[in-house]
Amino acid sequence: MNYTIETIGLVKRYPTSAKSGAVGPDGRPKVRGVSTGIFSALRSSKGPFIEALRGVDLQIKSGEIFGILGPNGAGKTTLIKILCTLVLRDGGEVYVNGHDPSKEPREVLRDLQAVLPESRGFNWRLSGRQNLEFYALLYGLTGAEAKERIDYLLDFTGLRERADDGYQRYSTGMQRRLLLCRALVRDTSIIVFDEPTTGLDPTGAAEFRDLLIDRLARREGKTILLSTHNLQEAQELCDRIAILDRGRVIACDTPDNVRHLVTERRTLRVAFSGVAFEEDQHRLLFGLGEVAGVHGVSPVLGQEGALVGLSIDIEKDVDLTRVLDLMTGSGLNIKSVNTEEPSLEDAFIAMTGREATGRGKTWTEGGA
Amino acid sequence: MRVPIALKQIIAFTKRDFLSWTTYRTAVLTQVIGIFIAVFSWGVSATYVQKPVAEMYSSDYISFLIVGLAVGNLIMPLAQGVERQLNPWTLETIFMTGVSTPVFVIGNVMWTYIFSAISFIPYLVLGTYLFHAQLNPNMLSTFLAFLISVAILMGLAMISTGLRIVTKSTDPITWAVNVLQNLFAGILFPVVFLDTIFFQGASTLSWFLPQTWVYHLCRLAMLTDASIADPVIQLTFLKGALFALILLPIGYKVFLWGVNKAKREGTLGWY
Repeated sequence: MNYTIETIGLVKRYPTSAKSGAVGPDGRPKVRGVSTGIFSALRSSKGPFIEALRGVDLQIKSGEIFGILGPNGAGKTTLIKILCTLVLRDGGEVYVNGHDPSKEPREVLRDLQAVLPESRGFNWRLSGRQNLEFYALLYGLTGAEAKERIDYLLDFTGLRERADDGYQRYSTGMQRRLLLCRALVRDTSIIVFDEPTTGLDPTGAAEFRDLLIDRLARREGKTILLSTHNLQEAQELCDRIAILDRGRVIACDTPDNVRHLVTERRTLRVAFSGVAFEEDQHRLLFGLGEVAGVHGVSPVLGQEGALVGLSIDIEKDVDLTRVLDLMTGSGLNIKSVNTEEPSLEDAFIAMTGREATGRGKTWTEGGA
Repeated sequence: MRVPIALKQIIAFTKRDFLSWTTYRTAVLTQVIGIFIAVFSWGVSATYVQKPVAEMYSSDYISFLIVGLAVGNLIMPLAQGVERQLNPWTLETIFMTGVSTPVFVIGNVMWTYIFSAISFIPYLVLGTYLFHAQLNPNMLSTFLAFLISVAILMGLAMISTGLRIVTKSTDPITWAVNVLQNLFAGILFPVVFLDTIFFQGASTLSWFLPQTWVYHLCRLAMLTDASIADPVIQLTFLKGALFALILLPIGYKVFLWGVNKAKREGTLGWY
């Protein structure tokens, strides 16, 4: 099968020594000039190196929304920039619609455009429309084609009314939408997003996600590759995801399957409204522990030590009939029953031994 | 005595900037050397200002200076045009459009050049009417001189840009060429005067600088009515053209090398 994007054993190393000075300890490019001289910058990079990508294999199909997840430093941006022809790989193979980004950059860029968060290239003194017209010319569109395409994109992203305002007057969200317009000017079949909602407020981020799914993917049928460390976002948006950790793909499947890749268990949470005799409670807890597929039972106690609920660790396919029978038989009234599936965060922690932080469930650490 | 907090804060800012400045060791060195050379260049000019420019152009000093100023204004911005576009992340954005290297370079200097060309005429008009500069141009030679000059400076611009993409700072070659041109390229005085100031044969060094040929060819064409039919002029123009022929492909290679090195090291976004 031919894939829209395919990487085979992709390897990328960055020099880390002060002499070559290309990449700082956090994996980001290092600012020249601090403790490094310009002559050393001109020398060839002989290492030592850090490996940003260590044999990445990915296959992305046409029309998919494919997410690359991982903490900072996992290699997401490096992978994206290799696809965008902006970084040269050190090993392995990469194909974008059958073209090698390092050997056929023009062919690749005819099929692929990207929205990179730190991307500049807009003139602050020009209007949004004028900036887009500049890029339309670079892409080789005629005046009429450019006008038609730009009008469409300004409508598409809701920027039409502010199109003739200076770029410097644009809010962060508008700037991000203009970036999207620029990436879409050429109307390529593949769009790549690196951290698409970083810096956007919750409303802006939600609008951007709608734009991505409803319009680009579903209506226009584009292949979308996005990198994110926002787990919720990946779960909402992506048909398939790959989890990247320290330059390796440690999981690649649908978000649901990835969540169950590591753990086949889920949590059953039961709330009671009545009060049972203490002896019945003990019998219930003992009985639940004996049911096949139940791995642990934790009582939830209310004020005065009364049993008000249970948290039961069960296997994914356990028969719940026996569990519920035991509960009703103990004289307790069941108020609610909920099952909690393992989250992507749970899966990641289980796979890497590292925890996500913060309410937004984003990973922190390292940066290529 | 207590030092006011405001003063302490000012000192903190100053100390920070001083320490930062000292970390740019090469830049510090180039700045210091640049000061010496600038002072020396003006000193040499000052001693020469009353003398005729007969040795080389059979002209007067004011005409010599006006043409030099006009040519410098017309052509020299070419060498800086591309560098001015090197802002963080812009290169990535532009390269994602798939533009070729020549288009990138020419595209980024074109407006600078058009603007310079427009402002070239006022320089000459003001110089002629207000300061009585006397021009004696040969149109064909002037055209050829400009063509060769543009090619030379485009080559230098590409070399400079390619190196800056890698160093993210001043590159040693451009710095050396720019500093040396003040003294050796004949901007403020004819290069033959270097033989008088330094030692016999010192002006020979000047002819290894591309900028010397830029100024020399333009002055020959605009001050001496140099006819391209004259074999001596032909040879002079051929020597200038040789610089262009050498610098253009070198510039192209250096630019590509710089871009590829930055792509390998993942630092293209930083310019």
